[in-house]
Amino acid sequence: MPVVHIRMDNRLIHGQILVSWNSAFKISHIIVTNNVVASDPLQVTLLKAVAPLTAKVSVLTIKDCVNYCNSPEAENETIFIIAKYPEDGLALVEGGLKMPMLNLGNQAFVRGSKKISNTVFLTESGVKALKKLHQDGIRITCRMMPNDPDTDYWPTIEKTLPEWAK
Amino acid sequence: MVGIVLVSHGNMAEGMIDAARMIVGEMEGVLAVSLQEMDAIEDLMGRIDAGLSEVDTGDGALILVDAFGASPFNASARLAMQREKTEVITGMNLPMLLELAVQREGQDLEAVTQIAFEAGSTSIRTLSQIMKKN
Repeated sequence: MPVVHIRMDNRLIHGQILVSWNSAFKISHIIVTNNVVASDPLQVTLLKAVAPLTAKVSVLTIKDCVNYCNSPEAENETIFIIAKYPEDGLALVEGGLKMPMLNLGNQAFVRGSKKISNTVFLTESGVKALKKLHQDGIRITCRMMPNDPDTDYWPTIEKTLPEWAK
Repeated sequence: MVGIVLVSHGNMAEGMIDAARMIVGEMEGVLAVSLQEMDAIEDLMGRIDAGLSEVDTGDGALILVDAFGASPFNASARLAMQREKTEVITGMNLPMLLELAVQREGQDLEAVTQIAFEAGSTSIRTLSQIMKKN
């Protein structure tokens, strides 16, 4: 299984990824995937510049990310995917990427979002995307660090934001 | 004078200024910006940008960040790449800030950056190394 983890994190590649997740998984390839980020040359340059010594960094559109991960090229890699929003996670799965689990990392406040915890704020469309993943049998987790438990996070979302989760 | 903005996870940046004050007294044109766990990167960028505007009086500004590749660096680098006379240095430490406090007057941004780089990197020692030399 080349893709070892999918994390939805607004901060993309940052300290928690470079230090904690990188040492837990021995990542060989970090793929940042979001259509807006992939078309911003400044962000692409910076994301590649912060690559750890032991991994390469790609910044791809959702479609290119799915195609790459399902290609023979990816087979011998240990791929860690960072999507920006829950909607990106859903798009990956709907595009044909098979994963039993999707992890919520930092989801900062954006206009119209509501708080679940200090690090997770979700919009209505984000909750709907996660609901769809949950209904497809994919476990949604919320782990900032690799040693956080991988308990099912959907019940927490459903309980905190019932108006959007129903 | 080149302005200084310190950017860190949590309260390290404010703590650096507090610590430096005990050694060199009040510093002019030095500001701290903190990343809190709920911050969006865009919010952090907004606060750094406001800090830069405050300390940059025309000679430019140097941003000191705690760690390369982490959010304070990522946000600072995105701003610096779109801004005139703005440099970013990683791995900030107290000797770096102290040298900047006492040496940067009358120097341009390139010279100030060099002062920070030298002070920051040469100040790291171990006791055993120092003992071997004597």
